[in-house]
Formats: sequence, C-alpha cells, structure tokens
Amino acid sequence: MILQPLIENWQLLLEGTWMVIKLFTVTLLFALPLGLPIALGANSRIFPLRFLCQTYVWIFRGTPLLMQMFFFYFFIPINIGVAPTLFTTIAFTFALNYAAYFAEIYRGGINSIDRGQFEAAHSLGLSKWQTTKDIVLPQTMKAILPSIFNEVITLVKDTALAQTLGMMELMKVTYGIVNRTSVTTIFLYTAIIYLVLNLLITLVANRLEGHFKRYDAKEEF
Amino acid sequence: MSVDINKIPKEELQGGMPMFMDRDRVLEMKGIVKEYGEFKALKGVDFSVERGEIVTIIGPSGSGKSTLLRCINGLTIPTSGTVDLHGRTSMVFQHFNLFPHMTCLENIIYAPVKVLKVPKGEAETNAKQLLEMVGLSDKADAYPAQISGGQKQRIAIARSLAMKPDLMLFDEPTSALDPEIIGSVLGVMKELASEHMTMVVVTHEMGFARDVSDRTVFMADGEKLEEGTPEEIFENPKAERLKTFLASF
Repeated sequence: MILQPLIENWQLLLEGTWMVIKLFTVTLLFALPLGLPIALGANSRIFPLRFLCQTYVWIFRGTPLLMQMFFFYFFIPINIGVAPTLFTTIAFTFALNYAAYFAEIYRGGINSIDRGQFEAAHSLGLSKWQTTKDIVLPQTMKAILPSIFNEVITLVKDTALAQTLGMMELMKVTYGIVNRTSVTTIFLYTAIIYLVLNLLITLVANRLEGHFKRYDAKEEF
Repeated sequence: MSVDINKIPKEELQGGMPMFMDRDRVLEMKGIVKEYGEFKALKGVDFSVERGEIVTIIGPSGSGKSTLLRCINGLTIPTSGTVDLHGRTSMVFQHFNLFPHMTCLENIIYAPVKVLKVPKGEAETNAKQLLEMVGLSDKADAYPAQISGGQKQRIAIARSLAMKPDLMLFDEPTSALDPEIIGSVLGVMKELASEHMTMVVVTHEMGFARDVSDRTVFMADGEKLEEGTPEEIFENPKAERLKTFLASF
C-alpha cells in the first residue's frame, strides 16, 4: 500500500518538518527586521555607512549560503572561542544571509516611492524618521510584498542546506529513511510537505496583499 | 520699529512664532543663486513677502519661479544667498502629493498630530472644518485614489492649512488639472485670499493672478524682470519679455 511508508515513518518526517519550521521562523524573525537598517544604510548619504552596508550585501549575496554556513561553523568556535549549538550557528548564518536579500528588496521599494511624497513630508515638517516610518515604508510594503514572499518561499527550500552540517531537518530525515528502507515513495511525501508549507505561505501572502491593496481602490471617476 | 508684545494676537504667540523687530515681514530672500552645474536656474534674486500679502509669480517655463518657491521651504538649497523666514510654511504641489495609504482625513490630521502635537480629537475637529471649507466633507474617509484630481488638490490645500502656516506656498496648483475643474481649486484659493492668508503662488492662471494678487512678480531666465501691482504688470507692462509673455495668453 502506498501509504505504508508514511504510516511507518510519519514521526520522523514530522520531526524533520518541525526543524524546517523552526529554522524558517527564527531566520525570518531576525532577517526581516535586520534588512531594514541595512537598506537605509545602503541608501545613506554618509559614505562610511553606505560603504559598510553595500559591502555587507555584496559579501552575503556574493558567496554561497552553504559556504557561509561552513565558515561560521568553524570560525566561531575556533576564533571566538565559544561553541554555539548547531541550530544557533545555522540560524545565525541564515539570518545574516537573508537580511542581505531583504535589504535589497527594501531598498528597491524605498527608491520606487515618488519624490513628491518626500517633498510633501518635508513641507509638512515631518522628521526623516517619521517620513520613513509612516509615509515611505507603508507604501513600500505593497510594492515589495511579492519579492519578499519570493525569498520567503526560497527560504523554506534552503533549509535543506542545513543537512550538510548534520541538522536533522526534513531532507536529511528523508535520505535516512530511504537509505534504511529503500522505499523511494518517501520522496513524494517529503515533496508534498514542502508544497503544503509553501501553499500556507502563499495564502498568507495573498491575505497581506489584500490588506495593503485597500488604499489602491479603483478610481471612482 | 519696536513691537508691543500685548498687541500681537494671542494665536500667533501660541503658534510659537518667533518675534522680530519687523514682524510684518514673513519672508526675506536676498541674492538667491541656484546653480545646477553650468546651468544657472536663479541668478541672484531678491524676494520678500509681508504678512497678509498675496504674491503671484508668473513667467515662462524654466524661468526659475518654481525653484525660487522651493528655496523658501528648503526643498531646494540655494547655491548662495540668504533666506530669512519668520514662521511656518506649508506647500501645495502641482501633483498634489497626497499620502495614498491614508484617507483624506488622515492626510489632513497626520502632520498636526505628529509635528505640532495637537491632540487627535482637536485635529479631527479642525480637519472636518477644513473639509467643509474645501467642500469635501463627504470624502473624509475616502482614499486619494478614489477622488478626482480637483478634489485631491482641495484636500492637499486643507492638509496644508491644517498646519496653520504663516505662509502658504502654491507650486502651479492647477497645472495638472483639467480645465473644467480648475475653477473649484481657484475658488478655494480665492477664499483664502479674501481671508488674507499670506500666500506665494506660482501660476500660469493669469486671470487668477490679476484678480487676487496684491503683487505680481514676473520672472524669466532665472531673474526677476518686473514686479508690481497686477495693474502695473498686466495693464502696463514695461519689459519686452513680459509683453511677449502676456501676449501669448
């Protein structure tokens, strides 16, 4: 029966899925906010700050995530002398890496805002922070949502990279089961799990897009 | 001239307006030069505005009139020259620049609440009066995308007024509007003029400039070529450039 391998291994798959969700959530929790100061810095008129943020983006987008994981896995214990858990190291690397991508998406969104919005804010006496927080970012959200969710969905799949350091996430668990039982249909169930996770994310994306669309109603005239 | 503090209307004191020896001069600009590389947008312009005065700036495209206006509130920083501004300004733009993610009411109350720290309830009461003044009470909860261009500009005027400015700046407020709705915006501006709101208006509406201004300034090629009462400018122009310019309408 086709369901047999699932019935026999569902607990392992569930544990793997739980690791995926954990890594995914922690990464987003840190990467989404961290991207914002990097984006603002990369847009800044202060050269050292701009240089620093652009270099950050260059490095983290310019090298493989896998390599970054290995780097921190060895670098932190050897050179800093602390030994964080495997999960911490991997989540740390993921957060730094994804922050670079989110920063560029934020920056693109901020740059797409009409200059007139900044001018109106200036002429009403708003501070730079008020302008960024209440005028620019809310308008940016709508425009960047599809790009953000592109990255979010990529993140779900990128969690599979964590197996290379030995994390028991879904992909590693799946290999293990296949190696042990020689039953390849387990790949099908794993694929379905990834698809379901991303379906949920897509549903959240649609909800959010609807929320931000409210002010973009069709013109009545 | 000395100023007796007791004679200054209380509202002005509450508005935090600094007091100056010459309290009737809201704005004094001297020798304003603005260069963009080789191009000189302004070639040393003097410009001043008295409290309660309505000044229109006319001139062909590229004459520097919008640049001069933008130097008043710092949207453009002059290459050289001094801007002496006594009080708060507020600007109305050609393309309205309403905040699209806020309703009309939110657009109007945002700055008073956040910048002037006016309590929200009070700001809303004010905003509703302003909406009534511009004839758009029914649009309080509409988003800018849901109203017409003329309505957007009237909301933008209300938003500027909500800041209780000492000086209102209008940058070609009707240039982006269809001819048939320009009247509604000019109507609101005329009402403000009749209440002696201090205004500087960059405009291509010669009829409005003639009817409403206390003083009209004609600019061309980054210079102030002629300045005077509407009668002097429109009935008895002296500069050749001004004559040619007026003839083109």
